[in-house]
Amino acid sequence: MSIAQFQAYGYFILIFLLVVVLYSYIYHLYTKKKDADGVDYESYSNMALKDDIDDTPVSAISEDKEK
Amino acid sequence: MFHWLEKHPFFFAVGVFIAIAFAGLVEILPNFAHSSRPVIGTAPYSTLELAGRHVYIKNSCNACHSQLVRPFKSETDRYGHYSLSGEYAYDRPFLWGSKRTGPDLMRVGNYRTTDWHENHMKDPKSVVPGSIMPAYTWLFTNSADIDTTYAEQLTVAKHFSVPYNQDVPMKDGSVKNVKMAQSLAEAHEIALEEAKLVTADMKDQDVKDAVNRGEIPEIVALIAYLNSLK
Amino acid sequence: MENRPLEYDYTIAKMFMLTTIVLGIVGMLIGVILAFQLAFPGLNLILGDSLAEYTNFSRLRPLHTDAVIFGFTLSGVFATWYYVGQRVLKVSMAESKLLMTLGKLHFWLYIVVVAAAVFSLFAGVTTSKEYAEFEWPIDVGVVVVWVLFGMSMFGLIGIRREKSLYISVWYYIATFLGIAMLYLFNNMEIPTMFATSPAGESGIGAWYHSVSMYAGTNDALVQWWYGHNAVAFGFTVPIVGMIYYFLPKESGQAIYSYKLSLLSFWGLMFVYLWAGGHHLLYSTVPDWVQTMASIFSIVLILPSWGSAINMLLTMKGEWQQVASSPLIKFMILASTFYMFSTLEGPIQAIKSVNAIAHFTDWIVGHVHDGVLGWVGFMIMASLYHMAPRVFKREIYSKAIMTAQFWIQTLGVVLYFTSMWIAGITQGMMWRAHDEFGNLAYSFIDTVTVLHPYYAIRGIGGLLYLVGFLMFAYNIYKTMSSRPIEERELQSASPMGA
Repeated sequence: MSIAQFQAYGYFILIFLLVVVLYSYIYHLYTKKKDADGVDYESYSNMALKDDIDDTPVSAISEDKEK
Repeated sequence: MFHWLEKHPFFFAVGVFIAIAFAGLVEILPNFAHSSRPVIGTAPYSTLELAGRHVYIKNSCNACHSQLVRPFKSETDRYGHYSLSGEYAYDRPFLWGSKRTGPDLMRVGNYRTTDWHENHMKDPKSVVPGSIMPAYTWLFTNSADIDTTYAEQLTVAKHFSVPYNQDVPMKDGSVKNVKMAQSLAEAHEIALEEAKLVTADMKDQDVKDAVNRGEIPEIVALIAYLNSLK
Repeated sequence: MENRPLEYDYTIAKMFMLTTIVLGIVGMLIGVILAFQLAFPGLNLILGDSLAEYTNFSRLRPLHTDAVIFGFTLSGVFATWYYVGQRVLKVSMAESKLLMTLGKLHFWLYIVVVAAAVFSLFAGVTTSKEYAEFEWPIDVGVVVVWVLFGMSMFGLIGIRREKSLYISVWYYIATFLGIAMLYLFNNMEIPTMFATSPAGESGIGAWYHSVSMYAGTNDALVQWWYGHNAVAFGFTVPIVGMIYYFLPKESGQAIYSYKLSLLSFWGLMFVYLWAGGHHLLYSTVPDWVQTMASIFSIVLILPSWGSAINMLLTMKGEWQQVASSPLIKFMILASTFYMFSTLEGPIQAIKSVNAIAHFTDWIVGHVHDGVLGWVGFMIMASLYHMAPRVFKREIYSKAIMTAQFWIQTLGVVLYFTSMWIAGITQGMMWRAHDEFGNLAYSFIDTVTVLHPYYAIRGIGGLLYLVGFLMFAYNIYKTMSSRPIEERELQSASPMGA
């Protein structure tokens, strides 16, 4: 397979995959509306609006050692 | 799965990187496989021409002058044959420019002379009434940097196999052998010989005297470079 | 110390605010000089014959572009990061001595690199590649500064209290990664000092000189992949990050659709990089690269407008704020200019339009309605919003701010309208043929005809600079105006008369 063919196939496959990922992302956002932690995506806007250091975080880093 | 990335900065960064690196991988890398090969008639820059190219870069001539003739009738009428990829094979860096405040210089050597350049650099309005180009008087007193030029020749010959001291084919079927010196002293001699050919057509007595003393003013190198653009 | 409540620490944000203003003045002043040099070439000798080498157009031009990109804009990005970053992550710089030290080191090394860059460009030490003019020793410095920025950014993210990253932080991360990748690949070069002659001499010539690893067409392709995306990741991505924080915060309105902001982000990341080839239409790069660049440039309208419309809709039902607050005016106009120049750019990337527009002043006009209208306005608005909060004082004068807004808007409008006319005039004249098929105009005809437009552009630029000086004065006076209470800072910034 020549480099040009490789390039063409690689390009097509990657674009196709990314289109699938992008559309499933859109589908996910607008059907579920909430992420897996149960936080509504729109409430993340409050990260800017309530950003004093003693404001409660929208979703605080939990106690378990998740990084 | 989607919310996960935005809570894991490291993997998020990896994701962003893949998205942005993708274009470069597909668009740029493959072209390197057929990296531009010189067309017939394209020879490496001689010592003085390369020194002149450095003067061109030092003064950002490329801020106002392009070196790229696009394939339109109006451009080929004005500047000559449209550009071919292989003509740029020895251009490190490329000097296409992005703005034509002044005209294209890709083939300026075909229609301007040493004499014209000399007058133009001293006082552009004297040869082009209405020109807004500033005069470049300091080129007549500053000395060209042959040492650095020589170092660059050595570097490109070693790392990029630029064919110095080899026969390269020309359009008329002949061959051209561009000489690169074996030592720094010889590099100065070669450049000085080339300089004398240029100053033969120049009027400025100070420049002629300087070359006779063994110095090479920047203007001489620059004109050698501009004359080589064909 | 122990009993004082924890507060955000803006020490480093303040430092970068200072350089934003100083380098902004420098970059814009040089720009105005350049503009008038084109209209009145005598100004190339502004400091006399003996200094002509250092004051002529071609030597100053890279200084203008680099001062505005790497001086003004990057400082603005750093200043806002050290402000926004802490707030949306809900963690203070004061909580980590290490981060504080990194931040300070970041600032001082940045100053050193800027000084070295200014000095070298005046001396004519340049690689000639646009926005990558610096020779390798400075490139090394740039990389170190950038790594420090990354360390302090990811360090702060590492100790955050908020689990999720706010959309602005996404954009800052993308800025960091994008510039890092582009800058490294475009500046691949071999220093010539390592060469050895057959006679055994080494270390010949200037130690700082280098030669590009790429030649000709390849070099052009890499350079415009860089050049275009340096605009993407310097002038678009971080500025979008800023507006996503500052506009909602200043207006007290939640983002119209947070989901749309996420989508636009990924769209922008993926699409932007492809469009670089539109700088090389009708050149000697492969045809398919040109076509692809053209198509992706059009596609780019979508994610760009996604963000811009999101911002405008954030003001839904609150449009009276635009009338009452000059700060909101700045941001709304910035967002409008963003829409405008992200439409103009793709139009110029259409091949048949590009055939006329390329190499003309229309391109210069496009860059400037983006940079003056979008980047400049947004950075000034961000600094205005930050000033009362970092200095704990109200903004010195609302009147100055309003006047500045109108002066600068007029400046931008004069700038881009004159450049449109100049560019299209020149493009049409270059290609005009007479009835016998000969070129209708000599090149100099197409230069002299531009004189009035160059003069108008110069005036537009001057107005913008005057406005920027008013901004600098207003910020300076803010440092000594009426102290304010914490509760005044919830959303709209307090302003004096």
